[in-house]
Amino acid sequence: MNIVLIFLITIFSVSLFFYGKSKTKTISIKDNIKLNALPKFYGYYLVLWCSIPALVFLLIWSLFEPVIIKSIIIETAANQGAIFSDKNEANLIYEKIKAIHLGTYFGDIDSILKESALAYAKFINLFTNSKVVLIFGIIIASVIYSLKKIKNNNKARDDVEVILKGLLFVSSLIAILTTLGIIFSLLFESIKFFSVINIFDYLFGTNWSPQRAFVRDASSITAAEFEELKDAFGFIPLIAGTSFIAFIAMLVAVPIGLFSGIYMAEYASIKVRRISKPIIEILAGIPTVVYGFFAALTVGPFFRQVGENLGLTVSSESALAAGLIMGIMIIPYVSSLSDDVINSVPQSLRDGSYAVGATKSETIKQVVIPAALPGIIGSVLLAVSRAIGETMIVVMAAGLAANLTINPLESTTTITTQIVMILVGDQEFDSPKTQSAFALGLTLFIATLILNYIAQRAVKKYREKYD
Amino acid sequence: MSNVKIKSKNLNVYYGDKQALFDVNLDLNEKEVTALIGPSGCGKSTFIRCINRMNDVIDICKVTGNIEMDGININDKDLDVVSLRERVGMVFQKPNPFPKSIYDNISYGPKIHGKGETKSELDQIVENSLKKSALWEEVKDRLDEPGTSLSGGQQQRLCIARAISVNPEVILMDEPCSALDPIATAKIEELIDELKKTYTIVIVTHSMAQAVRVSQKTGFFHLGKLIEVGKTEKIFKNPDNKMTQDYITGRFG
Repeated sequence: MNIVLIFLITIFSVSLFFYGKSKTKTISIKDNIKLNALPKFYGYYLVLWCSIPALVFLLIWSLFEPVIIKSIIIETAANQGAIFSDKNEANLIYEKIKAIHLGTYFGDIDSILKESALAYAKFINLFTNSKVVLIFGIIIASVIYSLKKIKNNNKARDDVEVILKGLLFVSSLIAILTTLGIIFSLLFESIKFFSVINIFDYLFGTNWSPQRAFVRDASSITAAEFEELKDAFGFIPLIAGTSFIAFIAMLVAVPIGLFSGIYMAEYASIKVRRISKPIIEILAGIPTVVYGFFAALTVGPFFRQVGENLGLTVSSESALAAGLIMGIMIIPYVSSLSDDVINSVPQSLRDGSYAVGATKSETIKQVVIPAALPGIIGSVLLAVSRAIGETMIVVMAAGLAANLTINPLESTTTITTQIVMILVGDQEFDSPKTQSAFALGLTLFIATLILNYIAQRAVKKYREKYD
Repeated sequence: MSNVKIKSKNLNVYYGDKQALFDVNLDLNEKEVTALIGPSGCGKSTFIRCINRMNDVIDICKVTGNIEMDGININDKDLDVVSLRERVGMVFQKPNPFPKSIYDNISYGPKIHGKGETKSELDQIVENSLKKSALWEEVKDRLDEPGTSLSGGQQQRLCIARAISVNPEVILMDEPCSALDPIATAKIEELIDELKKTYTIVIVTHSMAQAVRVSQKTGFFHLGKLIEVGKTEKIFKNPDNKMTQDYITGRFG
């Protein structure tokens, strides 16, 4: 029904556009008056007036209709003599009634249910009809209003601008509200988690084994269970693993990315640049899961083989393999960003350096790189936050065991990997194990936020330099 | 009559297919200021960029012919560009101090050429260069502040100090005052007068008045050709060529 309504509103608006356009034209010719705006603005004006009030009404109606019908139906069922002790049972009965109405219910139907189902059908019908009537009423009212305005040769251009500004504002508001929503959902679940697990035990614990925490109800934990839980959620091994793998990745990505960026910006001829830059950027287009199985199936076993030949014990899932591949994945970010930054260093600085007799490499080392440094730091920090957030490669190549180790040949794990592990499969939503995922998410979010902030500050500082 | 320091012979410059200079033959006298005038795009800057081989930086640029400095062709492929640029400094149109401290801006060149091995030697070079460029009194107490924090005129004098820090023989100036206000311009011109005692100076300028004020010799370029060259006084009072006459009286350009 809603789709049909939206479709009708659209068709109606589009035809009004052409109507408004030609109507104002004829008015202006017939009465020989100067229009306050181009005819097409009157068209837009009609379109906006015809569609926005109706669509907004439809949206609000659709949000509240199910809630209102539900409360009415549950009340009717209760009046009929249905017995339910709490909200869950009431919900169950409501779902049954709905299923009967749709003809998908196959259990026993008693008289209460039957009556309620009939009532449900009646209400649905009533609501739908009134919705259609109201929407058409709104459309007619707003179209009459706007046509009247047009006849008076109103300042349609200004009105259209105001309405468009409003639309753009609403769009950005939605983006901001979504962000806030995500933050709050993380926050509230994390607070539940921290009400069971002490925040200091979480932040400074050195043992991560959340599978131990299969407690059915967080409120009824015994003292013994609590002791057990207390040291199951130590964050240290995860942050250590995360930083360790990110560190290995940066060890690979920063030199290679930076040097290739310098080559692209300073040495490569236009021809070479045109061919090789897209090739490097293809690296950024490869899905991380592909990197993941490359790391897990090719690089990991290769390292183990080499390690065995050298007489070392190398786990086939190792921090080294994951970090290395992650580093390769990040190269294009560092390279492309530092290329841009180096390119934006003014040529006049290079000229000044050449003019006192510096060679190309001296100029790059002593003038170009220092001038571009804040921007390069920015690009590296963005790459770091990318590395910290990366999941797939680690899941596949570094393993899941939360070892607190600095041996790159052992398996280790990261925050994101653990979040995946915790939330895969069936979950108890009350268990601290599940809630710990939100706490991890919040921690990760804060960490990346800080890094991004620093990166942006660095980039901003750079921008001020030459203006 | 002073000695000829630099002598260009049949100098041609091409940017890709486009020829920018046609058979330029021009002598620059030692310890004298030579001004190059002419409408935009006439090849004045291209010419002075040949003297320190700055055109090497541009891939598509090709230079043929000879430029002799003290009798040696500096347009030779085998010539060491680094030591050439040590002898021929350059000041650009827009002040371009490095985003480093004032001190580091000056010490950059000497360090690259291995001059001033000890800190006190470097300090001396920095002080001398700044004194020669008449900036010392203004900045001596804040040598560690960034060069970009100075005013436009001060920045340009800093760039002049940077150019003379490696103790060159020739200084090329590519419209050094075009981004400056009249007061800063007057200071730079005063400075040029002072510097010509030590250095051979070539200055590209769009201001006739400036050419008259600072130079002893003037060359007029038009569309890549050197139309007329001679003593500044003669060029501005009694040029041989009609085109020169028209240009300096503002009839075109």
